[in-house]
Amino acid sequence: MTTTYRSVHQRQPRLEGAAKVTGGTVYTADLRLHRMVHAKALRAPYAHALIKRLDVSKARAYPGVVGVFTAADLPQHLPRDGANRLHTVLADKEVMYYGQPVAAVVADEASVAEEALDLIEVEYQELPAVLDILDALKQDAPPVRHSMAGIDRSELAAHTTLAAADEQTTEKTPPNVTHRMVWSRGDVERAFKEADVVVERSFRASWTHQGYIEPMSGIVDCDRNGDYTVWTSTQGDFTTREGLAKVLGVPETKVRVNFVEMGGGFGAKIQPFGAVLPAIIARILRRPVKYIFSRSEDLRSADPSSQAYIETKLAAKKDGAFTAFKARAVYDSGSFPGSPLMAGANLLGAYYKFPNLEIEGLEVITNRVSQGALRAPGTPQATFAIESTVDIMAKELGMDPLELRIKNAVTQGDLMPNGRAFSKIGLVEVLQRFKETSFWKNRNGKPSANGKKVGVGFAVGGWLGGGSPSSASVELNADGTVSVMVGANDVTGTNTSFAQIVSEALGLPIERINVKTGDTSLAPYAGVSAGSKTLRTVGLSVQRAAQDALDQMFKIVSERLECSSEDLESVDGQIRVKGSPEKAITFELLGTMSTGFGSPTPVILGRGNVGTPAAAPGFTIQGAKVEVDPETGEVNILDAVCVQDVGFAINPLSVEGQIQGGVAQSLGLGFSEEMVWDDKGVLRNPTLLDYRIPTALDLPRIETALVEVPVEGAGPYGAKGVGEPPIAAGAAALVNAVSDAVGARVYTLPATSERILAALGKLPG
Amino acid sequence: MNDFEYRAPASVSEAVALLVEKGERARVLAGGTDLIVQLRGGRFTLDRMVDVKGVPELNQLRYDAAEGLVVGAAVPCYRIYEDELVAAHYPALVDAARIIGGIQIQGRASLGGNLCNASPSGDSIGALIALEATAVIAGPGETRSVPVEQFCTAPGRSVLGPGELLVALRLPPPKPRSGAHYLRFIPRYEMDIAIVSAGVAAVLSPDMSSFVSARVALGAVAPTPLFVTEAGAALAGKPISEESIALAAEAARQAARPINDMRGTVEQRRHLAAVLTTRALRGAVARAKGEQVNGH
Ligand SMILES: Cc1cc2nc3c(=O)[nH]c(=O)nc-3n(C[C@H](O)[C@H](O)[C@H](O)COP(=O)(O)OP(=O)(O)OC[C@H]3O[C@@H](n4cnc5c(N)ncnc54)[C@H](O)[C@@H]3O)c2cc1C
Repeated sequence: MTTTYRSVHQRQPRLEGAAKVTGGTVYTADLRLHRMVHAKALRAPYAHALIKRLDVSKARAYPGVVGVFTAADLPQHLPRDGANRLHTVLADKEVMYYGQPVAAVVADEASVAEEALDLIEVEYQELPAVLDILDALKQDAPPVRHSMAGIDRSELAAHTTLAAADEQTTEKTPPNVTHRMVWSRGDVERAFKEADVVVERSFRASWTHQGYIEPMSGIVDCDRNGDYTVWTSTQGDFTTREGLAKVLGVPETKVRVNFVEMGGGFGAKIQPFGAVLPAIIARILRRPVKYIFSRSEDLRSADPSSQAYIETKLAAKKDGAFTAFKARAVYDSGSFPGSPLMAGANLLGAYYKFPNLEIEGLEVITNRVSQGALRAPGTPQATFAIESTVDIMAKELGMDPLELRIKNAVTQGDLMPNGRAFSKIGLVEVLQRFKETSFWKNRNGKPSANGKKVGVGFAVGGWLGGGSPSSASVELNADGTVSVMVGANDVTGTNTSFAQIVSEALGLPIERINVKTGDTSLAPYAGVSAGSKTLRTVGLSVQRAAQDALDQMFKIVSERLECSSEDLESVDGQIRVKGSPEKAITFELLGTMSTGFGSPTPVILGRGNVGTPAAAPGFTIQGAKVEVDPETGEVNILDAVCVQDVGFAINPLSVEGQIQGGVAQSLGLGFSEEMVWDDKGVLRNPTLLDYRIPTALDLPRIETALVEVPVEGAGPYGAKGVGEPPIAAGAAALVNAVSDAVGARVYTLPATSERILAALGKLPG
Repeated sequence: MNDFEYRAPASVSEAVALLVEKGERARVLAGGTDLIVQLRGGRFTLDRMVDVKGVPELNQLRYDAAEGLVVGAAVPCYRIYEDELVAAHYPALVDAARIIGGIQIQGRASLGGNLCNASPSGDSIGALIALEATAVIAGPGETRSVPVEQFCTAPGRSVLGPGELLVALRLPPPKPRSGAHYLRFIPRYEMDIAIVSAGVAAVLSPDMSSFVSARVALGAVAPTPLFVTEAGAALAGKPISEESIALAAEAARQAARPINDMRGTVEQRRHLAAVLTTRALRGAVARAKGEQVNGH
């Protein structure tokens, strides 16, 4: 029997969407407060240097300047943790990456603060910089930085449910290796000897930026009671509160973070980089301080996604059965530890059944800006490596690459590299569904013409998904409308989906439901909006809170109508006796009863709170059809598709939007996006002209196909996380398509026209 | 950014006077799509901006079969590609005008600004060189004419002296049996800067079997847009064939002396110089024969 739904599983336009697309939404940079001042940072021009002299006297004297701050001017009693970037507000004697803030000027106007930056005199002594990921592995490499203690892995925890207990650290590690782990099972060496075909390759993926449109920004006020109020572009109001409280050394009750809409984060805005500096200065000045990154500052000094170097070795029998997989994955964390090594290394060996497996993972630090999360952090890099390797294997075996993948795909009970077994997953279903897409049916549609070559490629992707406890409240108002409050930052349309969930649970039209993200002093707690977990975790709390509210209403109605709660149903804004719809009480009446002066009826206030729900890995297959100009290396993407297991699509419109956005981003990683540094570690392309995010004209229409393999208890109606899986495989699919088109393979992401020409042997050297 | 004065003269002589008065501290404003971006980016400071969009001579767009085409220095790109006579007689100019920026930019950006900005990758410059355009320059002294290939002297620098101003670009009428084509290579579909570009014009023999002459210009492979006379010379008198075109392409490759930067490497640029020269030549020949050729 198929259940029919009235609200969930329906295409619901984003409730806040019209305001956004018409420019009506207010962002942090739009806000102005009484007595507000503006902070600007002076940023280091070197990747690694000692600060020999820092003279801010001229800047202090500049008209309009309120204050100039260096590391020495910051309150010395604040907790310091040199290995955690949040605590390293301004460079303290040592510069560890190009663009690191060295001093901050605060002025009445942002333009004045900027002018005064030019008056600060700094004398640097350049130090050797470690930039290349392989150089960083060397035993005799110069150290990237002095302080190495107290590695902060909280960001990784926000993304996956992997435990840090899987780590193993060996004694004599090179100075810039901050983490090493090995996972193994079976006997890989023996399996390689007994294999029919072995494929061995190495891959690189470049540093990329998340490409959010709103740069890092924050406004922090500190009043005379020492209470902080914060507006900042963040994915997590509560994590911002936690981070600020730690850095400031104050209780969390002293920090109130307001919800402001965020113009994109994609993982970069998990840590409150926009709020720490203004918070510390606000504490000193007792005035609201505004700090907005310029586009170029954001590209230079935020927290982009790390580069990786991955070696793979795959063994198979003639029939296509994979027998062993060995890999070495090195992730560059930039100047502070905390890379997505564990997540990446695990997914590297998680898509297929490997009876024998050995994965070594290494994290290195380099003199580059510290890395942050980017949507399924670590996964596009790992997926590029494994999915290129599998494509090569298909060719070597003479097998159809899709059949090879279906044959080896993991199912329930199979082991991930970290030793955990998969619960119910939908990878095989996704691969089967792929054959029914119009992409697949039309894959031979356009022949090569005009010397251009057309090719088709695809790749498997996935994301295990994170989880965290959450809570929500649902309250009936006097007029019969319903207010829902959550603490989760709506970054993907989650509040719209919450409204659908409440609408479904209460039988109340969505127009009568209002979902708000409250500030941290009022809202029920929710974790950061990351790890594809917001809808499935907070959504469960919302669902429970709605049920709780409904139970309370049923109790009142059953007493009034003298029937049992079991005989009641809630339909179209009234609670009525099943089978006799004339016996009903409307939400309006209940609202009046539960709020009226002197009324004996209690307020209807539903509460939902859950711990981390069951894991719900989401798998995809992505396809790309490309036309390559073999003389220029130019790639034109003709067609793209993503088939994804979403568990249950609460709002298919928003799910498809997430998938299309993820695919667009993944194709950017595939062919155009790359941060380019010179040999001294200076970023050469800190503009959106030269950091090439694909434009709408660079992308085809993106086909989506939803597969629903619900997992009980993972999320409302069995929903899974959908935001991150669709970025995993697009780059790999694109490179496989290019290889199909021109017969040459690119081993470094992105597959730029130049790398394609080089792979074709058209460039000397 | 400091405060500066905005002036909008109504005549060339008034514009020149305003420029002379402030010397280096004054700049001409046409569409502003380079100037304002550079000013806000802190590349220079100004005391005066002289907006020439109100000067009639700089806004003329006139074609005459005997005289050829006059493009006022401030005429925005959209007027060029929407003009039927320009499209009919100078399709290579349309190739360039259509790809500068996007629709919004083309509503403002001028060929005069593109040339005076003197970027090695300026998209109109290769087309103008191929089409034998000359720059008409007014200033405190005599009005003078400079062939476009001699106009740019270094990145961002040109032959314009203090107080001088570009008034118009003059293009001779197209020769019989001639055709021209402009192409660039960018990594994205639009909104990018040429890694290499090629502007080519060719005149064919009366029986359409050989090249009488050809002009080849390359962008983004040298400090200034490059007029590659060797490539043209390689074609003069040669039969129209892939072999002849390959000779010119090789000459273009040899002449290119690009740099490595974040947009491309030396090897890639030299390779592309040959590829684009080949393709632009094929397009020019096709147009000379009266065939339709699309731009980018
Ligand atoms: C988003 C964007 C995309 C772009 N894409 C491209 C592209 O694809 N290809 C390309 O080539 N360019 C591109 N540009 C650069 C720019 O748009 C072009 O160079 C344009 O043609 C400049 O013309 P303008 O009228 O705006 O010049 P302005 O900015 O007004 O002037 C440019 C320079 O020339 C000087 N100048 C202007 N007119 C005169 C004159 N009559 N006499 C003397 N000096 C003068 C100015 O003082 C200034 O130094 C792009 C710019 C932007 C912002």
